[in-house]
Amino acid sequence: MAISAGALTAELSSCSSLPVYRTAMNGNAITVPLSLFGEGDVHIIRADNYGYDIALRQEQDGSYLALLLLCTHAATQLTSVGDGYSCNLHGSKFDRHGVVTHGPAERPLKRFPTGVSANSIVISLG
Amino acid sequence: MLTRYGVLVFSLTFLSRTSSPAQLQESTTIGGYGNAFYQRDANQKKSTADVERFVLFLGHSFNAKTSFVSELEIEDAKVSGGETGGEVALEQAYLKFNIDPDHYFTAGLFIPRIGILNENHLPNTFNGNARTQVETFILPSTWRELGIGFYGSINSGPFNYSAAIVNGLNSEAFEHGSGIRQGRFEGRNASANNLAITGALQFNIGNIKTQVSGYYGGSVAAEPQQADTLGLASGMFGTPVIVGEADVQFESGAFSAKILGTIVSIPDAANINRAYANNAPQTEYGAYAEVAYNLFQNIEEAKPQQLNLFVRYEKLDMNASIPYNGTIDATLNQGHLTTGLSYLPLNNVVLKADVRFVRTGNQNPAISSGPYETSNTFITLGFGFSF
Repeated sequence: MAISAGALTAELSSCSSLPVYRTAMNGNAITVPLSLFGEGDVHIIRADNYGYDIALRQEQDGSYLALLLLCTHAATQLTSVGDGYSCNLHGSKFDRHGVVTHGPAERPLKRFPTGVSANSIVISLG
Repeated sequence: MLTRYGVLVFSLTFLSRTSSPAQLQESTTIGGYGNAFYQRDANQKKSTADVERFVLFLGHSFNAKTSFVSELEIEDAKVSGGETGGEVALEQAYLKFNIDPDHYFTAGLFIPRIGILNENHLPNTFNGNARTQVETFILPSTWRELGIGFYGSINSGPFNYSAAIVNGLNSEAFEHGSGIRQGRFEGRNASANNLAITGALQFNIGNIKTQVSGYYGGSVAAEPQQADTLGLASGMFGTPVIVGEADVQFESGAFSAKILGTIVSIPDAANINRAYANNAPQTEYGAYAEVAYNLFQNIEEAKPQQLNLFVRYEKLDMNASIPYNGTIDATLNQGHLTTGLSYLPLNNVVLKADVRFVRTGNQNPAISSGPYETSNTFITLGFGFSF
């Protein structure tokens, strides 16, 4: 049963609308390879031992936007839906830039500073 | 079987030191929602006004892994000793334990994932002053019970799943004309002899959100000896209530739509009727479809205001089939057509105006007497907010 569940999960993982990149934290920062954006302009970054996902988006001007996927209303994890992110606790929604599109959240998603170094994008967690 | 190794791994995973965003270093959040309305009943030629709900959220994050979530509700503004009406109730009060970004547990009084409004019932998230009839009388929103729940996503969406085990319903409290609604314990002195399991699957495809959910629970709260005397099957899933639900929501630009269908089955309704004489139905069903259009969507100067024009049709029958010892009541076979406007000057504030045309079957003289009109119209003005 465990093998079947794992196979089913793997199959369903391929249906994810946004790719997930797993990595480790590097002190108070997360480093992501630039090559990640060879396909797709938005990636979910999941760092070991960091409680919540970060959405990393390549902007049209070549900069990178890192959003904490934590609802600003009651601190619940968000899921990726359509062209934004949704909170199942009270129904708040945010667009891909972290701007609130549906309440009750009122504040946009927290943004982390990003920088490019060599072949990597560095997300500073502060 | 959970081995000692499995327990150790689970404990280390859950309790392992986790870095967390600054805002999760122990914080308390306060929020809430509420709504009030004025309504005109065309047949009765009677107008009423009411502060229907005022709800306070109080939440506390102990750390990135553990938080507390609560909602305290006051209905109809006031509760006075000796007078009917009004209610003060805990809508939710549970602990939330995060396993990882995709998974968490809940334990306490919470709202299982069934239907659309049960989880997302803030007044600025639905059109019309009143919650839908289907999700009031077929799916008794907000339906909250005591138990434990497990919620998961696969890679932060688009596939979400949940399962919960909660206390069951009390079929003794079922009332004719309100389906299973009065059978909820809502966290107060709940019988835990009978339990229920619920589950839901959500799948997001682009701008479409789909969900299927189910519920299976025992409805006999009486202790076994009393249940035997009444001729009722007791125990964990004795005299079951079975609920199935599916819905689709779509939103793109100015246009949004939703459709929901649900069915409730009470196979042993005849036994419930024999024991409690409450005319429990064997089957109920409800469905609705709604479309809405934001008239301000393409007016740049109007943003962030919204003016949503909507129309919704609901069909429900609270006694679609009845047991041999039940009495049919065609007034419970209903159609509701609601249309109106929702104006949101901000995301969290809404002014609503709607008109609801109701048509029901004819009254059964065996149940009640007096004049009865099978159609009626309700005009409702109101406001709602959340924060």
